[in-house]
Amino acid sequence: MTHDHDVKQVLLLAAEADRPDPEPLADLVRARAAASARFRRRLRFCLAGTAVATVLGVASATLLTDSAGPPQAAESAQVQLVAEPFDASPYTFDLTPTGWSVQGQRPQAVTIAPDDGSTSSHPDDYRGKLVIMLDGHAPQGRVIDHEGRRFWLSVSSGYTTIATWTRADEPHGVVRIQFPDDAGWDEQSMVSFLASVHVGPGARPGLG
Amino acid sequence: MRDNERSAEFVTFTSNHRSDLVRTAALLCAGDEAFAEDVVQATLTRLYLSWSRVRRAASQLAYARTTLTHVFFDEMRRAHRRRETVVADHAPDGVTENDDIELRDVVLAALATLGPRQRAVVVLRHWHDLDVAETARILQCSTGTVKSQNARALAHLRDVLGALDDPIDLEVPR
Repeated sequence: MTHDHDVKQVLLLAAEADRPDPEPLADLVRARAAASARFRRRLRFCLAGTAVATVLGVASATLLTDSAGPPQAAESAQVQLVAEPFDASPYTFDLTPTGWSVQGQRPQAVTIAPDDGSTSSHPDDYRGKLVIMLDGHAPQGRVIDHEGRRFWLSVSSGYTTIATWTRADEPHGVVRIQFPDDAGWDEQSMVSFLASVHVGPGARPGLG
Repeated sequence: MRDNERSAEFVTFTSNHRSDLVRTAALLCAGDEAFAEDVVQATLTRLYLSWSRVRRAASQLAYARTTLTHVFFDEMRRAHRRRETVVADHAPDGVTENDDIELRDVVLAALATLGPRQRAVVVLRHWHDLDVAETARILQCSTGTVKSQNARALAHLRDVLGALDDPIDLEVPR
């Protein structure tokens, strides 16, 4: 017996599969890292010139200093970290940032927002908030050693991301926190906060 | 455009259309899900880096599908070695001997035996319903090439599916 199928039917059947629902923020974090890397590449290209490049180098170095450094807290109150644990399963934290609260809590990502109402109340709107995620991509950026662990700092327009490998007793991967600039987080507080994160077994990579 | 604005639009686009891109990539990659995910991730990154062009596109999804096809070819060139391994996993010779293999696997195995370009023609013409001219534009070839590649690819799929123990007669739209 012969069954009739048109090509589209057959392709539809072939294209369907049970796939995990990926976290859009993971795509965004990756895309931002690529944008940041492209910016640095272009900057290096500029700096490779001669006399003109020297002038460009000064301007670019200033720009790099502005963008690669930690967020300046001049316009925002400095975030205070207190030694008070809190739970945002599957993540737990040894330090609590005063004035910030957990807003979104999923196996793929935790969102922490400032209490001042300056950001959206929708947990999927990450603008101006901290996003904590797990993934399997090697961390990139400037290396920072802190309390025996290695951290990587990378920047893209408006955000700084700190990443580190999970501990031996945690799900294997890279845990990252994306911090908005101008929200009162300096480099030390960002690294300390990430160092206080414990990744529970329920954490799932933001990627499918 | 402010970065926040671009990022918000990107997340919205990804939420709405990522699954569509994954399905297309799965067909182009003949069921190699890991490869398809790589292609989709590379595509989304490329879209983010040129978001101003995505915004100006008459159809953002169509623009993304075109980008996906180009990324697929780029990745095929880069991952040639890996692709050969995967294709071997889907070799259709033994397919008809195994009664338990589902039609999906048979179709993917048949797609895997097509060349990347023929596969792309089939996907663009019959999955996305693009006409010959648009397919040729995306693949940067002549309309004659699209027609001949399409005819060969469909003939091959008909042969494979028609040779099953429980044969399938593949209807080809005129």
